Amino acid sequence: MRFVDEYRDAELGRVVAGEILAAVEPGRHYKFMEVCGGHTHSIYKYGIDDLLPANVELVHGPGCPVCVIPMGRVDDGIALAHHDGVIFTCFGDMMRVPGSDSSLLDAKAAGADVRMVYSPLDALRIAKQNPHRQVVFFAIGFETTAPSTALTLKRARAERVTNFSCMCSHVTIVPPLRALLESPDLRLDGFIGPGHVSTIVGARPFEFIPADYGKPVVIAGFEPLDILQAISMILRQLEAGRCEVENQYTRVVPYEGNLRALEVMAEVFELRPHFEWRGLGFISHSGLKLSDAYADLDAEQRFPVPGLRVADPKACQCGEVLKGVIKPWECKVFGTACTPERPIGTCMVSSEGACAAYYNFGRFAREREVV
Amino acid sequence: MTVLRVDATRGLALCIDCSGARSSVETALVEPVAAGDELLVHAGTAIATATKVQRQ
Repeated sequence: MRFVDEYRDAELGRVVAGEILAAVEPGRHYKFMEVCGGHTHSIYKYGIDDLLPANVELVHGPGCPVCVIPMGRVDDGIALAHHDGVIFTCFGDMMRVPGSDSSLLDAKAAGADVRMVYSPLDALRIAKQNPHRQVVFFAIGFETTAPSTALTLKRARAERVTNFSCMCSHVTIVPPLRALLESPDLRLDGFIGPGHVSTIVGARPFEFIPADYGKPVVIAGFEPLDILQAISMILRQLEAGRCEVENQYTRVVPYEGNLRALEVMAEVFELRPHFEWRGLGFISHSGLKLSDAYADLDAEQRFPVPGLRVADPKACQCGEVLKGVIKPWECKVFGTACTPERPIGTCMVSSEGACAAYYNFGRFAREREVV
Repeated sequence: MTVLRVDATRGLALCIDCSGARSSVETALVEPVAAGDELLVHAGTAIATATKVQRQ
């Protein structure tokens, strides 16, 4: 298929891997963060880290939408799902994320009407089919998903669907990156920038990384050759003493982003003063809520929610995984008490979570190394 | 996903992915689209048209 097959060419992959090998300085250790969970998934699925020299280390970042949702927010969703007459809708991954006592899947098993949807528009369709029920959509995700929610809310308003509302937990990518760059725990040499978020926001929002922190950024696609080429481009910047934002994913990322999507988001959302991230704590201006013009479609204003802050289980080290401080397999419960079938932490739930990606693909390579 | 057919009145396109699965996609953020365009689709909404960005 066009735009897929040519980016999975094994022969070209070996050529780019050779370029990477030629570009690294012997004796220097390179640490690059892939911001997006989609990159983490591809890296393990295609064994990209196996093609890299030993002194190039990839560190996983906070860009998995499900992984960053704190437990208290899951509990809020469960409380809403148990509300009389409510049909609670969410993406499939979200159903298995553990709250403090249970998950949305458990709530469904206990009798709550929780339904998995592929798109917020599916939730709106359910609302139109059930005019005597209240339908709530649990909106999560970064700037990639937020425009879809915004369009759905605009449609609900235009079509006068009054039994539809949204529990908005959308987040933005720049504030956690700034928080990570300020963290003394992590020393990074460059970033593989988030490809799909950049489709919406463009390249400009990442310019602070080279300007303020002196680290190169290369926005990359999600196929194996995209990621290898992005690593090669970061290394070439370092080799030449350059430090800037480059765009490897030119086939879908315009420099200015998707202006129509940004306009719709600006109309429907506004920034929260602060939002809690799993493992990263409260980060200022990092979460979205519905704007005053759409406040009547805000589920948290329509229904009471507990809104309590809940600490992660002590055994869970998702926070350190999300900050790139430890690798998935270094977590105390990885692959034993915490598996994709019975996750303790969010990183083991979504296919974009570093722990799930590593459990599903990477662990086999590591087992071979140990043997 | 590849656009098979466009319903401009409803702002939707019938698309096919690389596994052969077909679905209806919201196109408001990337209009106009035409049959044969390659769309990047997220949560049922097209967020970019690959062919257009490459031409720029």
